[in-house]
Formats: sequence, C-alpha cells, structure tokens
Amino acid sequence: MTADIEIRNVSKHFGAMTVLDDLSLSIKAREFIVFLGPSGCGKSTLLRMIAGLETVDSGEIAINNERIDHLPPGRRGIAMVFQSYALYPHMSVRDNMAFGLDNIGMSREVTDARINEAARILEMAHLLERKPGQLSGGQRQRVAIGRAIVKEPKAFLFDEPLSNLDAALRTRTRIELAQLHQRLQSTMIFVTHDQVEAMTLADRIVVMNNRRIEQIGPPMEIYERPATKFVAGFVGAPAMNFVEATLDRSSRNATVRFADGVSVQTEIASNQMTDGKYTFGIRSEDVRIVPAGQGNADGMVDVLERLGERTLIYTRLGNGQQIVGSDVGNSRVAVGHKVGLAFDGQKSHLFSETGRAWHAKEV
Amino acid sequence: MRAPAISIKGRAFGDRVLLALVILLSVIMIAPVLWVIGLSLKENAELMANPNSVFQAPYTLKNYINTIGTSSVFVWVFNSIIVSGGLTLGTLILSSLAGYGFARLNFPGRNILFVIVLFGLAVPEQAVLVARHQIFSMLNFHNTYHGLILPGLSASFGVFLMTQYFKAIPKELDEAAMLDNASRFRIFWKVLLPLTVPAQATLGIFTFLGAWNDYLWPLISATKKDMYTLTVGMASTQTNFAQSEGIGFLMAQAVFAGAPILIVYLFFQKYIVTAVSGAAVR
Repeated sequence: MTADIEIRNVSKHFGAMTVLDDLSLSIKAREFIVFLGPSGCGKSTLLRMIAGLETVDSGEIAINNERIDHLPPGRRGIAMVFQSYALYPHMSVRDNMAFGLDNIGMSREVTDARINEAARILEMAHLLERKPGQLSGGQRQRVAIGRAIVKEPKAFLFDEPLSNLDAALRTRTRIELAQLHQRLQSTMIFVTHDQVEAMTLADRIVVMNNRRIEQIGPPMEIYERPATKFVAGFVGAPAMNFVEATLDRSSRNATVRFADGVSVQTEIASNQMTDGKYTFGIRSEDVRIVPAGQGNADGMVDVLERLGERTLIYTRLGNGQQIVGSDVGNSRVAVGHKVGLAFDGQKSHLFSETGRAWHAKEV
Repeated sequence: MRAPAISIKGRAFGDRVLLALVILLSVIMIAPVLWVIGLSLKENAELMANPNSVFQAPYTLKNYINTIGTSSVFVWVFNSIIVSGGLTLGTLILSSLAGYGFARLNFPGRNILFVIVLFGLAVPEQAVLVARHQIFSMLNFHNTYHGLILPGLSASFGVFLMTQYFKAIPKELDEAAMLDNASRFRIFWKVLLPLTVPAQATLGIFTFLGAWNDYLWPLISATKKDMYTLTVGMASTQTNFAQSEGIGFLMAQAVFAGAPILIVYLFFQKYIVTAVSGAAVR
C-alpha cells in the first residue's frame, strides 16, 4: 500500500509563536522524502501534523486525495517510528508488533503471519519473545520499524530514528532503510537534521528553515544548485565558502571582486542580475590547491583535515577571510605554507542580499 | 602488595562491626515479638505467680485453643481485612485514574484542582474529625464498612504519587499507542497502567499498612463490637479482659492479629523495602 500526500497552505501556532507558516508540499506515492533543517525549523511539527499528533491550525492535509487532517492518528493509515522508538516496555517484541493489529480486530492468524514476515525481513525472528529492555539500541530500532511494517501503512513517518545510534550502526541502518524502501515501495517521510542521512536516503529533500520551506529537490540538485544562501550553507560539509563581493556585469558572464582585489570570472549569466552587493559562494571541492601565484588568490594554510580520499585545506586570504579548499588524500601541503587557490567558475554561486541564488548554466 | 591487604583487613573489621550492630538491632526488634509468643504459651496462673516463668517449661497451647474457641479476634481480623483491603483497592483505582487525569488530560482548572488536592496533605485528620463524624451520623454510615472505608479514599498522597509517576512516563508511548489505533481508555489500561506497577505497589503497601494500623477513626465510627477493627478490638481487650482472662490469652490473640500483616510483608517485602528507602522500583 502506498500514498500520495498533499499538504496545502498549512499553518501552525503554539500560542503567539508561529511554527509553520502557510506551507504547501506534494509528496508522490512511493517517494522517499526527507525533511531537513536545523532544530526549531518546524520539520518535526510538520511530520507530527501528518501523523495527527498535532492539530492543523489552518490549511489541509490529504492522503490519496482524501482529507485526513480531521481524523485521529490511528485512522490515517500511517505508521511512525519515533526517535526514542517508543516501544511498550512491558510487552514482548511480538506483543509490541501485535498491539496495533489487535486494536483493529485483526485475526490472530493474519497478525502472526505479518509479524513473522516483518521479523524475517528485519532478521529479528530470534528477538520476538524478548522485552525491549533486553535489546540493544539497534535491535530496538528494528522492532520499532517492524511495528510499523506489520500495519502495512499507506505511509511511513520517521522522526530522527537514527540519532540515538552510534556512528557505525547509524551508517548500517541507513543502508538498511534504503533497502527497505526499495523492497516495500512505500511512501516514506523522514525527518533529520543530518545532511548525510538526507543526501543518502532521499528521492527529494525538503530543506526547511524558519517556519517555511527553503527548497524542494533531489539531493544533488539541492547540493549543486541551492535555491538560497541558507540551503547552500546548511547542506554540505564543510559548509560552502562565502565571500562578500562586488559584481562586474560588463561581460556576458559575471565577474566578482573581493574586497582585497581578488577577482573571479564566473560562468553565471550576468544579464539577469542587477547591481548591488552579492555573496560569492563556492564549495571546498571546487577550490583547487595550486602553487602560490597560479590561482585566483593566494592563502596561508591554517589547518589540514586529512579525510583519507582527500585533504581539506583551511586557508586564510590576505584580508583574513577563510577559504576551505580541497587537495588529494596524500597532499604535500603543510600548515604555514602559502598556496594558490583556483576557483572553478562553472561551480561558482552568487547570492543576493535577500539570499536568492544564481548559478552557472547547467552543462 | 601490602597496602591493599591492610585495606581488605580494615574492610573486614568494618563489616564485622556492622554485622554486630545489625544483630544487636535485630535482637532489640525481635525481643518483644518473642516475648509475646512466650507469654502466649504460658498458663495465666503461672505468669501471675512468677513473670519470669516465661523462660521455663512447661509451655501450653491452651491460650490458642481458647482464642479459637471464644475470642472475637477473628471477626476483628476479618473486619480489618475488609476495611484495609477495600481502602487499598479503592485508593489504587481512584489515585490511578486521578493521577492519569492530572498528568495527561488537559481540562479547565486542572492546575488549581491539583493544588487543592495537595492541600489535603496539609490538613490533619483531627481537624475534620468532628465534621466528618456529624456527616456520617446524618448519613447513618457509622458501624458500616463503607463508613470505615470512605474517609481514607480521599488520598492526596496517592493522587500526588500517581500523578508524578504518570508524568514521568514518556508521552511518545501514548502517541505510539494513538497511532496504533488504541482508545484513550485502552492506552491507560494496556500501555500506561502496567508501567505504574512499582508505584501502585508502594502506594498499596503504605495504604494497607496505614489502614491496618489506623485507630482513631475506627474508634469513633465503629462503636459496636462486631464492627471493631483489629486495633480497636485489641485495645478493648487490653482494658477489659487482661486481668480476668489473663495476659497469655491476650498475647495469643495478638499472635493471630499479627499473622495477616506478616503474610503481607512476606509477599511484598521487596516493595516495602524499596518504598521505605524511597528508591523507585523500575
């Protein structure tokens, strides 16, 4: 079973505070959608509104064209996996999974069959008679997912379900979730503030900030063509380099000049842009390290971060501006060296004072 | 490795001192109980002649046989079981429901109502005794089981304890159950209430022991001998029959009277220790 989910002009207030402001979003059947954003941006509230755990102040939510925002949570055909897993501590794993089915009067045979199938998919048949207190964090997580699967819901909601796991288990569970989605072909909505989870799991990412949606798009579109300066800075590690710059629109493609005279020829069409203050943005992998004097600017190396397959090189320009560049894994650059920084004009971005972004034409 | 050896020796000495203290305290605690049992096994005439005869044979079960044959103690024990059991059951039901309501439901005046409930903790029973006596007289509640049970059901402590316990249970459990299509009552009954068993045990034990040992209200409300609870009955025996029937007979009654509470202790000692030490059983 799977579902289209339509969110139309939804707003939510807690007292005088607006948490979500006139937000609209269409989620297609079988899509894996990730709500990504910083703490307090409203992503969990939106998920809880879809689940029915928060009321909708205005607007509406529909599943398969049927309005559901007035229905109680149990009648929406939705299953949710909580951050804390929320397993019933006094019930065995089997009873945890059966509880929802018992409540709708499912026969014992069907219940058992679904539990056994979910246990087989999640490889936890040996855990069925244990209590949650006897399970590890990862096993509890599986049970929480199993409890959702047996209900055969129209959509799965995940509220930061990986955040209580250690790094290795998180990576493994992430892959398993992706496999589960391929297997079940269900609509899944996943809330996280972890951009790696968002980038690796999502068909589309919904980047949220400050009560509203900043951008909706596939992971690579979000990464390569961020709609706003917030998205550019929030998605990607290390964060995108930003430098205040002035714009020269005299040629077809815009040229930017930093305060200390450094200039960069971008491949961003200048005819759509107006004069004014801009922020130049470029990701670290698009800043090549070259010998001093051979790039767009020279910088002193402050810090090296060796990640194995590449080395992140934190440099400082003459005016104190920090720029992070990228070099090969076994880079010979050392702290204190003077290096050249070559900016890739094709991968450069410009942001107006309102935060709107311009990019080079797609090749 | 000299230093650790000294330290272990030191610890062993400390343990022995502690053990000696525990034995001493145990003897002090158990001595009156042994004294009661000893007296209950002696003839009255022998005790009147020489109180120290309790340490010498012969011993007899005559007092127990007389108690079974003639004493009202079993009626009083039965009354105490009904009153304490009823009061405990009622308190657990009402405190759980009220605690759930205060912890989980939003209704107008909730906070003020909770403060009013807490005020109940500050009002001593003696302050309301006369008014309660008058009301119960008008309602003809004296010398009835409900007359003995009802006053104890307004259990501020129980409501407070259960409210705090329900509040400590993560709300995600309610939400998960809501998504599992459970009704509010089913969430209370199947999900939350089983998690409060440690608090229920603590509250139940305190309530049962409190009701079992209560003297003041049963003394006022139960004026007929067949409605006496154990505490009132035993007190009346002490004043009325100790001289005529004998101290041995009285002590045999006391042994029978103490048996039910001993059984309660044997079954619930884990919870009693935890409740008294103030630690939460989770």
